[in-house]
Amino acid sequence: MGSMRYLIIIVGAVLVNNFVLNRFLGCCPFLGVSKKTETALGMSGAVMFVMTVASAVTWLLDRFLLAPFGLGYVHTLAFILVIASLVQFIDIAMKRFMPPLHAALGIFLPLITTNCAVLGVAELNCKNGTPFFESVLFSFAAALGFGFALVLFSGIREKLAHANPPRCFRGVALALVTAGLLSLAFMGFSGLVKLPY
Amino acid sequence: MMKSIQSMFKFFGGVHPDYNKDLARDRAIEAIPLPKTLVVSMSQHLGRPAVCCVKPGEHVARGQLIGTRDGLISVAVHAPAAGTVKAVEPRPGAAGAWADAVVLETDEDQAATPEVRMPPLDGRAATRDEVLARIADAGICGMGGAGFPTAVKLTPRVDRGCEILILNGAECEPYLAADDRVMRERADRIRAGVEILQRILGGPSVRIAVEANKPEAIAALEQAFAGIEGDVAVVVLPVLYPQGSEKHLIYSVTGRSVAPGALPSSVGCIVENVATIAAVADAVLDGVPLTARVTTVSGDGIAQPRNVLAPVGTSYADLVAFCGGEKPGVRKVVSGGTMMGLTVPNLDIPTTKTTSGLLLLTEARVFQYASSPCINCGRCIRACPMRLNPAALSRAVESDDIAAAEALGVMNCVECGACAFGCPAYRSITHHCRRAKNAIRARAAARKN
Amino acid sequence: MTPILTATLIIAAVGALAALALAVADKYLAVKEDPRIGLVTAALPGANCGGCGFAGCGAYARALVDGTAAPGACTAADAACAAEIGRILGVAAEATEKRVALVLCCGTRSEAVRIGDYNGLCDCSAAHATAGGDKGCRFGCLGYGACANVCPRNAIRIEDGLAAVDKRLCIGCGKCVAACPRKLIRLVPAKATVHVLCNNPLRGPEVNKVCGVGCMGCHLCEKNAGGKEAGHFAFEGFLARVNYDNPPTDAQLVAKCPRHCIREDAHYETGK
Repeated sequence: MGSMRYLIIIVGAVLVNNFVLNRFLGCCPFLGVSKKTETALGMSGAVMFVMTVASAVTWLLDRFLLAPFGLGYVHTLAFILVIASLVQFIDIAMKRFMPPLHAALGIFLPLITTNCAVLGVAELNCKNGTPFFESVLFSFAAALGFGFALVLFSGIREKLAHANPPRCFRGVALALVTAGLLSLAFMGFSGLVKLPY
Repeated sequence: MMKSIQSMFKFFGGVHPDYNKDLARDRAIEAIPLPKTLVVSMSQHLGRPAVCCVKPGEHVARGQLIGTRDGLISVAVHAPAAGTVKAVEPRPGAAGAWADAVVLETDEDQAATPEVRMPPLDGRAATRDEVLARIADAGICGMGGAGFPTAVKLTPRVDRGCEILILNGAECEPYLAADDRVMRERADRIRAGVEILQRILGGPSVRIAVEANKPEAIAALEQAFAGIEGDVAVVVLPVLYPQGSEKHLIYSVTGRSVAPGALPSSVGCIVENVATIAAVADAVLDGVPLTARVTTVSGDGIAQPRNVLAPVGTSYADLVAFCGGEKPGVRKVVSGGTMMGLTVPNLDIPTTKTTSGLLLLTEARVFQYASSPCINCGRCIRACPMRLNPAALSRAVESDDIAAAEALGVMNCVECGACAFGCPAYRSITHHCRRAKNAIRARAAARKN
Repeated sequence: MTPILTATLIIAAVGALAALALAVADKYLAVKEDPRIGLVTAALPGANCGGCGFAGCGAYARALVDGTAAPGACTAADAACAAEIGRILGVAAEATEKRVALVLCCGTRSEAVRIGDYNGLCDCSAAHATAGGDKGCRFGCLGYGACANVCPRNAIRIEDGLAAVDKRLCIGCGKCVAACPRKLIRLVPAKATVHVLCNNPLRGPEVNKVCGVGCMGCHLCEKNAGGKEAGHFAFEGFLARVNYDNPPTDAQLVAKCPRHCIREDAHYETGK
């Protein structure tokens, strides 16, 4: 039963309630880093890492620091603080240990600092009151869904770069229309599984 | 009788253009009267141009060496007739590239200067090295179109050696009938060539691949090859363009696929054009260098379509004049076949060892079109014999994304034209591919320097 | 304790902890980078044209600071920019002479003969590879805009079957020089005013056959500009080429060229 529940959590977070295409969280990197599949993959990796770690840290923070003192009402503030420092830390560490990846992601790493997807997943975990492991799994699956959508979208955009649309549609306009259509397509997954939350 | 077998393998893709072979296929080979001027290019083949070894004012005999090989991938050039060298200067070729050429004013009295011939070799006794050296000395290159030096092709570097020698008599290009005529009229010569090559290649199986629309050629070959030793057979191929493309021919005949970027020798095959084999026999048994070839002059714009045996260097204008001149309303002149041939801007261009045809087309056959955007019908994808995605390739090149085109495998494109042939949007897909290939090659060359 | 004090203290503590962690990371994991790289990158024009031979301005800045590249390779930089870079690096940067691209052909549609209808791709190299292009002169500008397509500053336009360079927009990166299949674009000093706009080294009669304004190598320009000793022109076959180390300045040469292929200030300027 347990493993089935985990599978449902993953399918729910990746397909049914995809962070970008159903919850509309993290639209900024979704549009910003999706011109090339290569960079999209790097960005997905970074988001996966940050989200998983951030959710673990924020869960612990919420459970052991904020909850005992009854400080649920400041958790947004506390989460922003922790996530921002965490991303900064990863930025520094990546620059040191993985310079090529750092060069490829460039300005997008700091972008994760203010990424609503990361904050959103922490908030959702907090709201749902899920146990630690499930929270981390959910966050990882949500990041996986984000990466999935990002890579899909970048593949389409690579093809779109060769298209010859009317002038007014070129560039971001067509990207936004495509994002909308992709979101509509993902609506087809609703009802696929019965979500625990 | 030698057996003839049906091809058991059909390659993916391909198209059925209008063949229009009836215009010339029943016309016997006729020799053109020696033109007054011959322009013999030093670049008649694939690889480095030959180095001219005669000077203006010099008198040359027929068959005399006038251009020496420059390196391995190069071919010698001989004088097609006795005459005086008027000039050595750059002249345009059919592809538009200018290359050094010997302008030869032919003598009225050809008999006055004795022809230069190499000593004949005994086809049954000559060693492998002797035969290969002779093929190189006689300036023989592939006569199907690309013009790869034959001696190099017959020396496979890959360890598999030569298991199957395939003679390419598919002639899948519309209009052309030169190879058809050579097979019909010079089948004995082809047999002599095959016997020589069989011996020096260590007794490979021999398959003579002919498209089914040449029954007379098949019959002539069956008769000529009767009683030959070894595993020799005519393979009758279904009529499908581009059946004569090297890799597709190998697949149709043997079922073996040549990997992208690999040579036929990687699957133990060597493919030679039938006319090349006849030239090999001439060079080995008679010591005659390659200085003339059969060219089909056809199209609806020529008065009398013919298969002309013309010395190399005959100008297109002389060929046209021999065939009764052009009819009114000629709009396009193509050197080669209509699918892969090159449009030429004028008739002031000389033939080479690879000129298989000269087509004069009128308004009725020339279609002026304007390309429109791709409608994603997928017809080109079904037509592409190399299993590429021409639609995506063409779009990538159109938006100047050469890197994407390279990733889509444009370097495997054989430029057969099957994609553009059926495109309902009249997109110049083959041209796009060619452009991408040129750009990639130029970039690679720049990187090397 | 009042809840507000608790909240403030706890948030402050979390913040302080995070700050400490970052400070430690910055101290022990930081990558040392010369601050001058950023300054030089900011001072460069930022066109990322690659005219200096490096992959963009950032790479050139890095090479400048490392000392592996000579200052002054940037053709797009003006004197003020070069001086600024020199100041940052602490060396006297040589002032570069501004160079601009010049299309060495003036065979417009009315002057140059076209020998066929080209119906293929609108790209010079594609046209050049198709029977040598539709222009009778095999040295002349085809006018299908391969140069205009690669120009990072949109400084080239095609007019009457010829490419023309905007002198003010051109940054001399040389991309068009590489893109031209006929190799008839050259980088010339921006201050040179008199140019020979022809690239055909063949004899007069052969040039005449294909173009009304092709140079036949009559040497008249050389005579009018003080003879061979003055050294304003060099000849390549039957083609006069301006010696850009010592360019002629006499505008009279333009009117005196019997073939009208010497032009004064052959660039166009947008807005004029």
